Amino acid sequence: MKLILGVIFIIFFSLNLTARENGETEITTEDGIEVFQNEKFYLLKKNVKIESDEFTLNADDVKINFDKNLYDITKLNAKGNVDFYSEQYEIQGDGEFLEFEFKIEKIKVKGLGSKLITKDLKMFSDGFIEVNNQTGKFSLKGLNSKLINEGIIIEARSIDGVFSDTGEKKNITLLNIFDEKISYIKNDGTDMYAKTINYNNENSIIELIDNVTIIRNEEKITGDYGTLDTTNNSYKIKSNNKSKVKVIIQNNE
Amino acid sequence: MFINRKLIFVSGIILFCLFILIIFFKQTNLSYEEVKNIKNRSSNADISEPKFSINNNSNQIFITAAEGNFLNKNEILLKDNVRFKSNDFSIETDKVIFNRDKQTAQSSSRSLFKSKNTSITSDGFDIYDKGDKIIFYGNSYIILK
Repeated sequence: MKLILGVIFIIFFSLNLTARENGETEITTEDGIEVFQNEKFYLLKKNVKIESDEFTLNADDVKINFDKNLYDITKLNAKGNVDFYSEQYEIQGDGEFLEFEFKIEKIKVKGLGSKLITKDLKMFSDGFIEVNNQTGKFSLKGLNSKLINEGIIIEARSIDGVFSDTGEKKNITLLNIFDEKISYIKNDGTDMYAKTINYNNENSIIELIDNVTIIRNEEKITGDYGTLDTTNNSYKIKSNNKSKVKVIIQNNE
Repeated sequence: MFINRKLIFVSGIILFCLFILIIFFKQTNLSYEEVKNIKNRSSNADISEPKFSINNNSNQIFITAAEGNFLNKNEILLKDNVRFKSNDFSIETDKVIFNRDKQTAQSSSRSLFKSKNTSITSDGFDIYDKGDKIIFYGNSYIILK
């Protein structure tokens, strides 16, 4: 029993010798580091693990740009099996590539199966996902791009928008969605399809342009242009063919 | 049956003791060989406490060691307590091959790099481009403060 306790103590003590202290960042690599002092970057090679109090990252290879000294990190590029979690920004994600610009708080995840998840937003894409935490701008481009925010589901090849940070949660204030085939948005039990979909939080109107379809309950209305007022959930649909009757349906509420 | 068990137990103990004794003598021999080698090495050193420098446009890296041996006209094997020191960083290791002509240095022994708020341990390194580029080999461990 004493022997076992002794072995446990030795293992624990030797682990503690290499463990990082509070406020430190620990990086391990399997195939070394290349430091380019004039160009001010270093390459971390093979099975890279980065761990600090508020940030963890795993990737095959990582390039880090620095300002004056190695610890003064300005930009991080990771590639291959990237997954990360930032406690500070309450964000986690994974993908084939990651770009993180620390000073402007811009994050970009690229490649198949890219994923970026915050407390209020879930973003997926096989192209790229880009979020600027300072300006609130975000962009999803490529196949299978999808955004989920408080019951709103958006699917399209191109999703651009802005979110506002109220401190407690992130709300979408502006959206520009486009898909040559068809974009999709689901809000409050209403499914909407169109090539182009725009949303502005100031007037609370969702604008649908080209190949418009709105499905709610058992109703399905098609047209060329439509709007949905998110304050009372009422919608209007127009057709370019003037002989057709314009349809206006008010919500029962 | 009881005798056999006792016999097996005693034989096991004897074998274990023999194993420990062999390990002990091997270790003693190795330690003796190491001491002998160190003595031989120190006596064979071409340069005692050599000092070199790598001259960079913006910086100068000073290299010191306990001893050095010429491998050829330009290459010198620096041994024991080898240190690289510049305004920005220092590296400590046991063995380095320094090339005076190319102003490069290579090491395949465990190395410790230190700069402001940063330390890197690796299985060796390669300094080239007048110290602008440093490659740390193998399993590497970085601490950023």
